[in-house]
Amino acid sequence: MALREHLRGYLFVAPAVFVIFLFGLFPILYAFYMSLYAWRVQQGGFVGFSNYANLIGSWGGLLTFVAGIGLLVLAYKVWSGAFRAVTDRGLVVRLAAAVFLIGGGLTLSLGWGRMIEASGSSFLPSLPITLYYALGTVPVQIGLGLVLASLLFQKIRGRTLFRIVLFLPYVTPVVAGAVVFRTIFSPDDTGLVNSFLSYVGIGPQGWLFESRPVAQLLFGVEVGGLLAGPSLALVSIMIFGVWAYLGFNVVILLAGLSSVPNHLYEAAEIDGANGWHMFRHITLPMLSPVTYYLALIGFIGTMRAFEHIYPMRVASAQGSVDVASIVIFDTFYRSNQFGEAAAQAVLLFGIVAALTYVQTKVLGRKVFYE
Amino acid sequence: MSSPSRTPDTGSAKAPRSRFRPTLLRSAVYAFLALAALVSTIPFFWMLSTSLMTLGESIGRQWLPERPQFGNYVEAWTAANFARYFLNTVLMTATIVTGVVVTSVLAAYAFARLHFFGRDVIFALLLSTLMVPETITMIPNFLVIRGDIIPLPGGSWLNSLQGLSFPFLASAFSIFLLRQFFIKIPWELWDAARIDGAGHLRFLLQIVLPMSKAPLLVAAMFAFIGSWNAFLWPLLVTTGHEWRPLMVGLWSLVDEAGARTQLIMAGAAIAILPTIILYFITQKQFTEGGRLLRPEAVNPT
Repeated sequence: MALREHLRGYLFVAPAVFVIFLFGLFPILYAFYMSLYAWRVQQGGFVGFSNYANLIGSWGGLLTFVAGIGLLVLAYKVWSGAFRAVTDRGLVVRLAAAVFLIGGGLTLSLGWGRMIEASGSSFLPSLPITLYYALGTVPVQIGLGLVLASLLFQKIRGRTLFRIVLFLPYVTPVVAGAVVFRTIFSPDDTGLVNSFLSYVGIGPQGWLFESRPVAQLLFGVEVGGLLAGPSLALVSIMIFGVWAYLGFNVVILLAGLSSVPNHLYEAAEIDGANGWHMFRHITLPMLSPVTYYLALIGFIGTMRAFEHIYPMRVASAQGSVDVASIVIFDTFYRSNQFGEAAAQAVLLFGIVAALTYVQTKVLGRKVFYE
Repeated sequence: MSSPSRTPDTGSAKAPRSRFRPTLLRSAVYAFLALAALVSTIPFFWMLSTSLMTLGESIGRQWLPERPQFGNYVEAWTAANFARYFLNTVLMTATIVTGVVVTSVLAAYAFARLHFFGRDVIFALLLSTLMVPETITMIPNFLVIRGDIIPLPGGSWLNSLQGLSFPFLASAFSIFLLRQFFIKIPWELWDAARIDGAGHLRFLLQIVLPMSKAPLLVAAMFAFIGSWNAFLWPLLVTTGHEWRPLMVGLWSLVDEAGARTQLIMAGAAIAILPTIILYFITQKQFTEGGRLLRPEAVNPT
């Protein structure tokens, strides 16, 4: 091939490649480089991995934590093996799985406790909060989206109008939406949500100002550590997140529904299947690539969420809504600890990549491809 | 996915048959949909209503203002400096949308139709950046824009249009979207154009682009929304009023206006309105955009 053709190719891609490499790819390497230095606004001395050590707290704790995860993986393997082996030993295998599960959970929380105790940074506590946020929004979005998309897919009057209205929150600027939701979730008893609650006889809540876990508010039990669950402030933000992304999920699921071949339903109808059977055995499996894709991008998106949470943050929430991105931003922008913020960002990137990999392994296997 | 597919969005002719016959179930379905629509729209209603209230009304338990206070909008626009922020956002968005369209069209065409060494590797590297969280890129990018890492013309780019827009002048997502479309354009057209003496650039401008209005519009709209709504990056690189865009301005208004919720809501309405108008004008293309975002189209594997 002529050299000219190669050159022409490079010339065409040069502007885009320059910008994306400089601002999308190079920063990953440079952030890692920064994380090895004592870097406060200006570059300081080389400190090796001590930024990471400060974040993690105790290496022994980390090791215990990882061992706990290993036990949980083992429990999962044994458990899924127990269903395949239809022998008398099934009960024994299941018992073993339970032992591994409990042991893994205990080891994990022990290691976590040691890390938290030794680390002075708020980065570690932000990780379970990040996970709560992801797990509290993505499945809800997809589940509700599935219901709404299936309903909209029927012969419904005003279908287009419903779709336009449901998609509206997705195109709304996040910060503007957040500012409005701040007043909707106002702790005053004249706030929108609180005045609605008073109609049904429930007293006003603190919402974004409430740092106590929801489980504690609902059941009065106080659980510490990893099992505490999200605060009411975080749940309020989750509601905002679901509000913002539901329409996007509906539109993508609708597009997925329209590509399920009609003859499958016709065949099932001849075989006497009812609506639920068709949904369960045709719609869900045929949609699984779409739901899988939504789960994946939803998870990656929420694990790095910033703009939905930052404008909703109030001091009274006492850090109970500070997901990893928020902590990184604060370390970088408010405390000017560039090196430590870079280490946090690298860790978050690694964790998200690892969890995404696990997700593709575990969920990806369940996806039905035609 | 297989070929005979149902298309619910194109009209009533091919609408799927109903699997809900009983009237009771039907009304339950409508009630549920209406509730969802209500929840989706109440925040907008709340925003508009509060933005037209007096201070007293916004504090009390009231749904509608006694007399609409349009003065709140005037105050947000002038006293709270929203005129300036609005102009900044318009300039930033125009720059970014133009940049994204130009760079993406060129790159997508090359990735789809030209052969050059390392093409697929470069493309894969570009796509991999879609996975990278903004929290990791923002730190080095801030140093780049401040002129710490490479010398920039004019020193630091903090508080400038270049600083706000340069990192976003190209988009891996748009390149991918357009490439998927360009790849399907028949080669016969290129052969014909070549016989007429056209080069790649003329072929791209005169044949390919007029055929690609739909994906171009989608790419432009996503760039528009991305930059109009941008918050984290502008928060980092603007320190004063001069180049502050709308979203950062709105955020600082939350601090400055304090309890004057009606003023904040007027600001939010000003910030939201352009996107909403654009959405209603182009909502059909948005749905098309949704279709283009389907997993078969987006998953690189």
